[in-house]
Amino acid sequence: MGIKALLAVTAENQALVTVNFWTLILQICNLFIQVFLIKKFLFKPINNILEKRQNLADKAIKEAREAKEEADSLKDQYESSLTKAHSEAAQIVSDAQKEAQTKADALVQDAQKEAADIKARAAADIEQEKKKAINEAKDEIGGLAMDIAGKVVEKEINENDHKKLIEDFISKVGA
Amino acid sequence: MSKEFSVVGPKVYATIRTGIPVLGDLKITETLVVTWIVMLIITGLCIFLTRDLKMENISKRQAFAEMLVEMGNNFVRNNTGSTKFDKLIPFVSALFVTSVVSNLISLTGLRSPTADLSTEAAWALVVFTMITATKIKTNGFGGYLKGFTTPIAVMTPFNILSELATPVSMACRHFGNILSGVVIDGLIYWALGLASAALLGLIPGAVGDFLSKIPILGVGLPAITGVYFDWFSGCMQAFIFCMLTVMYIANAAEEG
Repeated sequence: MGIKALLAVTAENQALVTVNFWTLILQICNLFIQVFLIKKFLFKPINNILEKRQNLADKAIKEAREAKEEADSLKDQYESSLTKAHSEAAQIVSDAQKEAQTKADALVQDAQKEAADIKARAAADIEQEKKKAINEAKDEIGGLAMDIAGKVVEKEINENDHKKLIEDFISKVGA
Repeated sequence: MSKEFSVVGPKVYATIRTGIPVLGDLKITETLVVTWIVMLIITGLCIFLTRDLKMENISKRQAFAEMLVEMGNNFVRNNTGSTKFDKLIPFVSALFVTSVVSNLISLTGLRSPTADLSTEAAWALVVFTMITATKIKTNGFGGYLKGFTTPIAVMTPFNILSELATPVSMACRHFGNILSGVVIDGLIYWALGLASAALLGLIPGAVGDFLSKIPILGVGLPAITGVYFDWFSGCMQAFIFCMLTVMYIANAAEEG
């Protein structure tokens, strides 16, 4: 069986309305080949890119949400630290005020004490001066009395004998 | 220009003798050759449209390709009302685009593969197989057989008939519309050719003889009638065929 017997080139026409078995089979195959080709060359790449874009968008949204959450938590953190800083500042101020008050009180106390000391010393000095003055006055008076007595008696009195006598007199008179 | 008008079937370019009885010889017809051309066009278009795809700043070409895919997705999802049938999308899209391009290729002077009943029969057979497979998958084989006896057992022959009528009607509807387009286009060209021959034949002498052979009136009017018989009919039938495919399969997937 040669090729001529197997294949014949014809120029006839098929009937207008007929179903040719082989054409039908080949058309079914053609349809499935077309489905495969359209799937491979159109749907697969396009769906792939659509999915990728979808993922990208989802990722962007997710990232934005995460960033927002982070920002919120940071905000909370800042707010709490700010509150803490405020209270700390208030604490510091009140501490400082207290310390200053204590210091001022101490200063005043010191000053008062010092003033009291000075007053006391001054009083003691005055007392001493007074005593000194009185003693001096006693001595003077004693001397004077001796002179007067000597002049009155006109005789030499033993100064030492009489001095004791006079001092006794003065201490009885003064103080 | 012939005085007779006739519409003939697709040309048979070659016959391969298979030697198989009953089934007959494998004939390489115009239908098959044009179908291969159609497939080449579609595949080439797909490859062209999906070249250097990008995530951002997409080209018009990519936007168009994405629109086509979205249209296919939406067509199937809207007509079935769910995403259960997403596996059907490439099939329905391939069916639609093959049908449209096959119908419209007649505008280039080639014979539409859809003007051969074998093509539509092949498609309808595939769809019928899918419908039946879906029914059996949904209700089980027993349930599928039992479905023929509803609502009463007497209805069984009619149910079988209506079941078989589905692919036959789908194939014949599509074929009939396209064939009618072919016939009407042929008629119009033939009539206009006759008219121009008669008109230009009025010119005396050899000039008139020569000019009367040119169907000058065939320019213009067929383009207008072609809007309906080729463009509208071609797109409409492809749409109807795909719509019916999706609806029948979606119905088959419902319990019943």
